[in-house]
Amino acid sequence: MIKAGAIDKGTFLLIKEDPYVVVEREFVNPGKGAAFVRLKLKNLRTGQVLRPSMKTQDNVEEIQVTDKSCQYLYNDGESLHFMDTDTFEQFEVPVASFEDKVLFMKDGQSYKVVVWENEPLDIKLPLKEIYVITEAEEAIKGDTVTGATKTVTVETGLTVKVPIFIKQGEKILVNTETREYVERVNT
Amino acid sequence: MPLPLLEEIQSQGKPVTRELMEKRARLFEETRGFFKNQGYLEVDTPLLAPYLIPESSIEIFKTDLLSPYRKNKELYLIPSPEIWMKRLLVQGSGNIFQITKSFRNWEQTGRLHENEFTLLEWYTLEADYKFSMEITEDYLSATAFLSDNPDMFKKPFLRLSMQEAFLENTGLDLEKLQDREHLFEKARELDLNPQNEDTWETLFHRIFVSLVEPRLPQDKPLFLYDYPTQAPCLAKKIPGTPWVERWELYIHGVELANCFTEETDREALREYFSREGLAKEKAEVKHSLDPLFPELFPKGFPKTSGVALGFDRLLMLLTDTPSLGGVIFFPLSDIVES
Repeated sequence: MIKAGAIDKGTFLLIKEDPYVVVEREFVNPGKGAAFVRLKLKNLRTGQVLRPSMKTQDNVEEIQVTDKSCQYLYNDGESLHFMDTDTFEQFEVPVASFEDKVLFMKDGQSYKVVVWENEPLDIKLPLKEIYVITEAEEAIKGDTVTGATKTVTVETGLTVKVPIFIKQGEKILVNTETREYVERVNT
Repeated sequence: MPLPLLEEIQSQGKPVTRELMEKRARLFEETRGFFKNQGYLEVDTPLLAPYLIPESSIEIFKTDLLSPYRKNKELYLIPSPEIWMKRLLVQGSGNIFQITKSFRNWEQTGRLHENEFTLLEWYTLEADYKFSMEITEDYLSATAFLSDNPDMFKKPFLRLSMQEAFLENTGLDLEKLQDREHLFEKARELDLNPQNEDTWETLFHRIFVSLVEPRLPQDKPLFLYDYPTQAPCLAKKIPGTPWVERWELYIHGVELANCFTEETDREALREYFSREGLAKEKAEVKHSLDPLFPELFPKGFPKTSGVALGFDRLLMLLTDTPSLGGVIFFPLSDIVES
């Protein structure tokens, strides 16, 4: 058990027997009242979002999780398939719970999977990742406005806004949290 | 010893820009000009006090006045200038205002909370909380030019009573839910996880924070008025009702100001002191209580209304800055965390 006031972004909680991760946390002190914390939680089984408020003195059940290194094998449309790189054991997780992550994930790549009592709860993405552009329109001739952007698609199906000089087949670095283009990668 | 490089100084926390310095300066000027024109006298009062007004929801910063010959004396950083300004009122100051630093300990810092912050506080004689709404509207309208969205800060503001706010957002008739057991039941039905040790006040705040405050209208500033008597404060009770003459001003969902028609009745003040003083015994930092405060106001003292307004929060809202740290020079949260 931890006090709600000790909860941070990224804390894992058990609420009504479902595991949740804390996505946002903000303290609120209603005038002349006790301190509260307003949370945005994501159910790691269903993806459902909860926005509870708790008194900072309330007790909440925290769960202890571990990170496992796993190779992402493929997506069959319903499940994401992984292999534990220590035990070579294969397992799958429902796509529905990781819809916000799947577009960033590359087949064959290693990821840290957050596991709680043998149940994979979350996938940790690197903050920045390199992707190959698979679809990009040619820049419109004469469009020389500084800061002009276009939308391209990368090998995972993710779409990103990039400067107009970026071409199909080139590699770009993308921030996986903000979904923003960082820079072109020359390799 | 070599002098520290400018870059080294700038790397400690966010650098303070000239633009921000100018914005703060302009808000100071505008505030002083406004209140002076309205006939208020500017005052300045101590930050250190040997005793305070008890407020169980606030934790205090404590320090020691050292003496080589006598016992050290505990002093406290003021959580607001109220204790001094009310003394000035009874000594014949007339209408007064002050912009001062205030301190609150323990408060988890973040987007809307800093341990050290700037408070604008003003008192109007022969006035009640309704009058204070009008002067607050006029003051904010006068600061609107500092915003890229000036219409947002121009009067008239919205007005909504706590009773209406509860009815609209939760369906609860708060006026009829004055006993703890009934409110506890409602909080449970609303799936708010009330705790057995919750008082009526805690249950009220649970429902308010979870379901009412996030749904308050945000298209114009809003006066939320008539707070429950069961949330103790120094506001005058409205006879025959469970409400006190108090409002809070919300802008974009941010609590910006708090106002009372001040309680000046001795019996009521003594009762507040003994109840909050008792609750204060559970605080992390205990402090001495002002022995004179409950006896401060002579019989027949004119009706008085006071407003405390978060000066940094106002600047944050006017300049559309996402957090308090963005409008304060060297915010403590930055220094402590780095």
